[in-house]
Amino acid sequence: MDAEILGLLAGSLVSIGAYSVLIGDNPFSKITENIYMGILGGYIFVTNWDFIQKNAIGKLMNGDLVYIIALVLALMLLGRLKPKYLWVSRYPVVVTVGVGLGMAMRTTVTADFLGQIQATLLPWNSLNNIVMVIGTITAAAYFIFTAQKSGVYKYVNTAGRVFLLCAFGVAYGQTVSFRMELVIGRLVAMLDPRVAMYTYAFILIIAVALAYGYKTKKIEWYSGR
Amino acid sequence: MSITDRLLKLDQRIIYALMFIALAFPILNPVVLPMAIQGYSQDAFDFSDSIPEGSIVIFEGGLGAATYPQGGPGMVVQIYHMLTKGVKCVFFSIGTEQNFWTMTAIETALKKLPAGTPAVNGVDWVHLGYIAGGEAGVGSLVNDIRATIEADYFDTPIDDIPLLEGINDATGFDAVLWWGGSEGSMPYGIRQISVPFGIPITGMCTTNEVPNFSPYISAGQLQGLFGGVRGSAEYEFLLKLPGPALGQAMATNFGGLLWMAMVLLGNILYFVQRMKGES
Amino acid sequence: MSDRLYKIQLPVYLTALFIILSVVEHFFPMPGVVTNFNVTMRSFVTVVSAAAFMLGIIFLTISHAKTITEQKSGWYYNLFYIAALLITIAFGLMGVRNESFLFIYDNMTAPIGAALYSLTAFYITSAAFRVFRARNWNAAILLVCGFIVLTMLIPIGAILLPPVVPIGEWLRSFPSSAGFRGMIMGTSLGVMGLAVRVLTGRQKDHLGIREERMGGE
Repeated sequence: MDAEILGLLAGSLVSIGAYSVLIGDNPFSKITENIYMGILGGYIFVTNWDFIQKNAIGKLMNGDLVYIIALVLALMLLGRLKPKYLWVSRYPVVVTVGVGLGMAMRTTVTADFLGQIQATLLPWNSLNNIVMVIGTITAAAYFIFTAQKSGVYKYVNTAGRVFLLCAFGVAYGQTVSFRMELVIGRLVAMLDPRVAMYTYAFILIIAVALAYGYKTKKIEWYSGR
Repeated sequence: MSITDRLLKLDQRIIYALMFIALAFPILNPVVLPMAIQGYSQDAFDFSDSIPEGSIVIFEGGLGAATYPQGGPGMVVQIYHMLTKGVKCVFFSIGTEQNFWTMTAIETALKKLPAGTPAVNGVDWVHLGYIAGGEAGVGSLVNDIRATIEADYFDTPIDDIPLLEGINDATGFDAVLWWGGSEGSMPYGIRQISVPFGIPITGMCTTNEVPNFSPYISAGQLQGLFGGVRGSAEYEFLLKLPGPALGQAMATNFGGLLWMAMVLLGNILYFVQRMKGES
Repeated sequence: MSDRLYKIQLPVYLTALFIILSVVEHFFPMPGVVTNFNVTMRSFVTVVSAAAFMLGIIFLTISHAKTITEQKSGWYYNLFYIAALLITIAFGLMGVRNESFLFIYDNMTAPIGAALYSLTAFYITSAAFRVFRARNWNAAILLVCGFIVLTMLIPIGAILLPPVVPIGEWLRSFPSSAGFRGMIMGTSLGVMGLAVRVLTGRQKDHLGIREERMGGE
């Protein structure tokens, strides 16, 4: 059996384990979840270690001594492990928060705030432009000013809410499609003609095992809604 | 208990089972229906197609394990499109998992390339690998590549990569292709590369994120967008390079209809109950 | 008092300094020393962020190990976590492009991750049936917009109801886009407000002062 088929089979088996949580928490789903977290944890740990090795230790080895500071900062994060030394970890956090926020702030002003305002300054010569201008202003007002809801502002508030509800409705419709695409992506691999029969067999085995567990009360039956 | 009550209290696992069947059935019995090209996809394709030969693009691969099946086919097509046009690609990822899937997409695209297409690692494309730090990491990379990373995905030192000769920041790139998947990272590309360096950007995100980024399209900050599996299928169609996305896009039919039927049924039962004064 | 200086005040000042240097560099021409300092600090951020991920895994492992040592309910499941973690790290340390390491990720974690992430498709359908009601005009707007857009997205929708394609695209490109633009402007103001609060030392949540106090009690 070649590695690709073996991989598809393993993937199919663990996917069924993960999907079995839909029936209710059960040993298969719990094992699958723990294996998932373990492997992903290991993968993230090693990949980040490789990044540090390459881009901090590597640079240090090439004579860039300033990266000693980066490594010391990285080690200082370990202060989080004990509340007494938590203050030590503040210094690396300060670097990430300070630099990160500074970088986000400087471009947010131009790209998000001014850029979007500029794009809203449209001539009132078409329905689309009018919708865009009124929608943006009222939605921003609804989003930013939450207190005053009387007088003329009441209408601004209502219009803003309508535009936001439309935005959420569109996002909801798109999300439903996205979630189905996720299942389809997995099912395509599970129902690959080369492994489909095995997938059905795995479903059957897990179903029988669960049924036996529920019948003998070795697994608690989840009553559902 | 009335029938409406009983139906409304239907065990959710029956709904799950119905959904499973609705999504699996078209995969086992594929039917291809005509599909309109969305405006955003057409814009993204037109922009990609207008990138001149010899340009260098910076390409973020943000697809993960869950989103690769829907975005991967489109990303493969985009890489194929660029390399066959003679556009050079500089890849990177801001997630550890995404790094793996970016490499998978590159390998898949390379296998599909027509014989003779120049696609030498380090000359026509380079994968810089995983860049930690999120938005700050992107900012760091595009402001000084050599200060951020020492070597690429294959551990080749940056100074030994011919493609990056004379390039150390985003001014060396002509376009940004941001395949952010469900990372929600498209604004990073806009904020840290496109706006500050004045480089046009396009790309892909999952279907659910399209509305979030639509204001950037109407503001002209984003040159179109491929959304989810539908976007991937449209790219395959527009480039006339058939792939797996079309079949997956078709598989959403029954699931979508089932969802709509469930919502309609739920609402009808609710109004029936309300008319009877039960709720 | 001196304790407070290096434990709280200095971190607050340093945060402000890093924000100012990043922002000022973007808008005004700065001497080389400032630009170089910013470049170095940005590369430090990437290293510290990578280390933070590793620390997160350490914390997660400690929590699993605790469950095992204290034999809390279902502790034996946590053994799978520890075993999977150790095996993956062992292969990974042989090289991040090691075939076994990538095989485990590609064929075990990736499918489970994709399956777990996709569970919401089932929950969203069940929830829609049970609670997505047009109880009032607000809910009706949400429902109708969602319906039109989903019909537009599924290929059969355009065949059954051809007008949904232009209507759906219009909804997404104009009213919805306007709503999201309002939100983007609101959140960008929020980011700027947060930065100003951190800059002036009014927001100190990132220092973890509360956690320190709670841990000390």
